[in-house]
Amino acid sequence: MGGFFWENMRIALSELWGHKTRSILTATGIVIGIIAVSLMSTLINGVDGLFENSMKFLGRGNLYVDKWPWFGDEDWWTLRNRPRIELDMAEDIEERSTYAIAVAAQRGRSADLSYKEYSSEGIFINGVSANYPDVSTIDVEFGRFFTGSEDRTGAQVIILGSDVAKALFPFEDPIDKEIFVGSSRFRVIGVLAEMGKFLGTFSQDAQVIIPIKTFNKIFHGPWGMRRITVKVPEEHIEDAKEELRGIVRVLRGQKPEEKDNFAINQQKAFRQQYQGIKLAIGGTGLVITALSLLVGGIGIANIMFVSVKERTREIGVRKALGATRGKILGQFLIESMLITASGGIVGLLVSTLASLAINKFLFPASMSFGVAFMAIALSATVGLIAGLAPARKGSLLDPIEALRYE
Amino acid sequence: MPLIQVKDLYKIYQMGNTEVRALDGVSLSIEKNEYVSIMGPSGSGKSTLMNLLGCLDTPSSGDFYMDGINVATMTDNELAHIRNKKIGFVFQTFNLLPKSTSLRNVELPLIYNGEVKAQFRKDLAMKALNRVNLGDRVGHKPNELSGGQRQRVAIARALVNDPAIILADEPTGNLDSKTGEEIMALFDDLHALGNTIILVTHEEYIAEHAQRIVRLLDGKIAVDELTKKKKK
Repeated sequence: MGGFFWENMRIALSELWGHKTRSILTATGIVIGIIAVSLMSTLINGVDGLFENSMKFLGRGNLYVDKWPWFGDEDWWTLRNRPRIELDMAEDIEERSTYAIAVAAQRGRSADLSYKEYSSEGIFINGVSANYPDVSTIDVEFGRFFTGSEDRTGAQVIILGSDVAKALFPFEDPIDKEIFVGSSRFRVIGVLAEMGKFLGTFSQDAQVIIPIKTFNKIFHGPWGMRRITVKVPEEHIEDAKEELRGIVRVLRGQKPEEKDNFAINQQKAFRQQYQGIKLAIGGTGLVITALSLLVGGIGIANIMFVSVKERTREIGVRKALGATRGKILGQFLIESMLITASGGIVGLLVSTLASLAINKFLFPASMSFGVAFMAIALSATVGLIAGLAPARKGSLLDPIEALRYE
Repeated sequence: MPLIQVKDLYKIYQMGNTEVRALDGVSLSIEKNEYVSIMGPSGSGKSTLMNLLGCLDTPSSGDFYMDGINVATMTDNELAHIRNKKIGFVFQTFNLLPKSTSLRNVELPLIYNGEVKAQFRKDLAMKALNRVNLGDRVGHKPNELSGGQRQRVAIARALVNDPAIILADEPTGNLDSKTGEEIMALFDDLHALGNTIILVTHEEYIAEHAQRIVRLLDGKIAVDELTKKKKK
């Protein structure tokens, strides 16, 4: 049987070579289909990677007490009228919660920074408690984070995000230099390692971190974000969330019949939201691209029917010389699989180049081995299925009729 | 035991309500190394008999022994195997694969044989081509050959599996008379070398090359006679 495979490959190759234009046109349908399917899978993988990377900024075991829920369809006016988060609740939560590992308070708003002739506008000022590193994934690359006593005394110390450091100190070491936040003077004590963007939008590197007490001293008024982050063991996050909800309600003196006037956010919400979108867009995309492959397959089936018809006489000769049905079937199946597999390989090459370009100019995307394997397997399968009916038709020809065919 | 033994062979087609008896009780036996012509006007059952003898078709009823094996009740795949091993076809229209060289065309039955390893195929095909004096045309495609040369390639292809019979259907029908005579001379040689040859033709002078002529009429054997050649 192995000998037949190569013999059939030889026949198929010379047949395809003999009809170059036809073969190329037919294979183009498959090329397009495979490009569509493999690029779509690559894009979904890329977006997945991007998402997972962003999710690292939100610890899996973190609960965020916020005024606003991240997702949901509650009435905007109701949410707007909620009281703002009292950050002194952080201590009470830490005291009362049985699950909490760390509780950090956080305020944020934007302001302009400057150093000598350099300035950065609209930078996110992150005012946090000294235990903030325990609840986040920040990594101080140079210098240090501030201490508890610096926070308590409202010291004017600042840690720069990597982009901010590059903008203000293109040629100097920022550590121990004095910069201005608005009109207040701060001493740089650290620089964060590069982190990238959150979901492709908010750059984690374009922020600065100062002690929350210092923040309160400088920035007055109700504006900006306020948040309490509670880190709990990941495996108990649902119980911890219920407990936290109770604690905040008690601290706020909410009556049992009242709805929560705060939100407890967690990474899961992003994940669920994302899964929904991914399923909708990815699923639809794959169905549409699979349709293009189907169209390519129909083209193959069509041309194989033509080929069987044209070669009726040849089939008759082969049968007279001793070819069985199975051998004729195999011959045409290998031919159609060869067209689609070559189309698949070409399509794969094109989409690999395309994904390299996307990776370079748009966002992280790379052709995985799995996608490549799937593309080749899929194209060969399309060939097998598309070739089945024509090959069967050829194999069932009556040799006497076929020999007489003009 | 004769090489071919046919007993009460019927081939009946149903055409609407009417029954067409293409073969109506044919009995015939052919010995090894016989040289037989089958003749008859169109509609006489000549083609049907040839298709049956060539194992391209099965009879409606009757027995057909080839080399001691009953082929009348075989399945399609078994028939394909018999055709490959036992029968060498030569057609009026040559029926070579147009895109393949002489060598590839002659190799074809060896490929379907399954018992001949790839490395021996070329040698066997070369040997067959040399036997028909086409050793210098192995790399040519059919459209680069004359009609006579094409038919020689077809004969080499028929010989290559060393079949029990060579079945030639109007082998000179598409050739001019001079070339036709050359091809017939080749058949005569092959017969002299011990091959069994069955010739289907409607030309009396072609049929005279054989030792025996079987004449069919209305699906029955009308005459089964020896030729002058044999009588001599």
